[in-house]
Amino acid sequence: MSKLLIALAVIVVLILILVTFYNRLIRLNVAVDEAFAQIEVQLKRRSDLIPNLVETVKGYAAHESATFEKVISARAKATTATTVADVAKADGAITQALRGLLAVAEAYPDLKASSNFLSLQEELSTTENKVSFARQFYNDNVRSLNTAVKTIPTSFFAPMAKVSAREFYEVEDPQSRQAPNVKF
Amino acid sequence: MDQVSFRGMESANRRKTFLLLAGMGALVWVVVFSALTYFGQSTVGIVPIAVGIALISVWGSYYASDSIVLKMTGARLLQESDNPKLFNVIQEVVIASGLPMPKVAVVQDTAPNAFATGRNPEHAVIAFTTGLLDAMDRDQLQGVIAHEMSHVGNRDTLVSAVAATTAGAIALLSDMLTRMMWFGGGRRNNRDSNGNPIALVLSLVVLILAPLAAVLLKSAISRRREALADATAVSFTRNPAGLRSALEVLAADSTVVHQRSTAVAHIWIESPLDARSVSKLFATHPPIEERIAALKAMENLGPSK
Repeated sequence: MSKLLIALAVIVVLILILVTFYNRLIRLNVAVDEAFAQIEVQLKRRSDLIPNLVETVKGYAAHESATFEKVISARAKATTATTVADVAKADGAITQALRGLLAVAEAYPDLKASSNFLSLQEELSTTENKVSFARQFYNDNVRSLNTAVKTIPTSFFAPMAKVSAREFYEVEDPQSRQAPNVKF
Repeated sequence: MDQVSFRGMESANRRKTFLLLAGMGALVWVVVFSALTYFGQSTVGIVPIAVGIALISVWGSYYASDSIVLKMTGARLLQESDNPKLFNVIQEVVIASGLPMPKVAVVQDTAPNAFATGRNPEHAVIAFTTGLLDAMDRDQLQGVIAHEMSHVGNRDTLVSAVAATTAGAIALLSDMLTRMMWFGGGRRNNRDSNGNPIALVLSLVVLILAPLAAVLLKSAISRRREALADATAVSFTRNPAGLRSALEVLAADSTVVHQRSTAVAHIWIESPLDARSVSKLFATHPPIEERIAALKAMENLGPSK
């Protein structure tokens, strides 16, 4: 009788352990998905700001068409990206093109003083910060997941939970890895 | 050894909080044990009464902390349209922390300061004085917001409620027992005359000193949570310089928030009581120079991934 009880207790404890680790892996995996969705939300916000920004700059610096082209084509390319690597690459291209555009804006004092541009300025700097924090949050979540997938004991349960290590969100431009720095 | 990085700082402070809370628990046991030694078995009934009273009084203020603190500090809730730039910076930190968006409040006061409260992240409120909003630039504000959001994420309202409950229970116990000593001291001798005199004197000393020890432990926990919030803030913004320069502004400013109550002193980012505090041991915050030095050490590591 008591042997049966002990065996039962051992089985219950084993099941509890299994459920705990299984759920932990699933939770971490969902957190990565959510963090990636957050990046996409913020990228969309930035993308929506671009037409207005380009129009505003065009009004003062119409002949800088090469710079506008770059921004617009980078924005267009970004819409087709779906994998983490592709989204990160498109993100990097837009970041760089925008930096070029803002550098152009530096040269036009009238533009910089215009009310339209000033109101865009706060929007742009906060969006750039949000994009950057969303990337950081995603990478932190990937870091936790990958650690769990690769370390004992959670690693034993990863195949069963169908959870594997995920890709970091890496923007090529070395400058954009640093703290966001949109200054006008 | 690796306490310079924010991750190292975070785990070191978490460990110390745990030890301090364990110390609080041990102190309760020591008090109960001393009471038993001094008064005999008859006092056992007092323990649940003291813990119960402390629990009820602290639990209510913990559960309704958001509305109570807003009333006590005279803070007013803000809408996004009242200060879009402030909300932008808060949203940035919210994204970095993965926490839900808190309610935002402002206190009419020229002294720069800020606090966070609420029983859980879903009921969090963060508040700033108008003086702070005027004095800080974007990076500094981001650092302050990150510090407050760290309190929310680390559930510091809960931690301080637990500390306050234990300290309250110890104070009540010691108070009840010292009263019993004056009125019923004679009966003890008849009941357990086999008591060792040294043990009796020791337990008496414990009963008298326990409330003081509890207050010291409570302050030490509060200081650890402040240091932890600084480290967690850096994990959110990865920019120790922002919070560091914000603390420098606070350190340079000598004005003090016109507190309505000293009861909420511990929740501000900079202690409003510094001028009055008796000694470092009773302070609710680590010395601001120490916090600045810790952040500087993190800056020297360079940008971390």
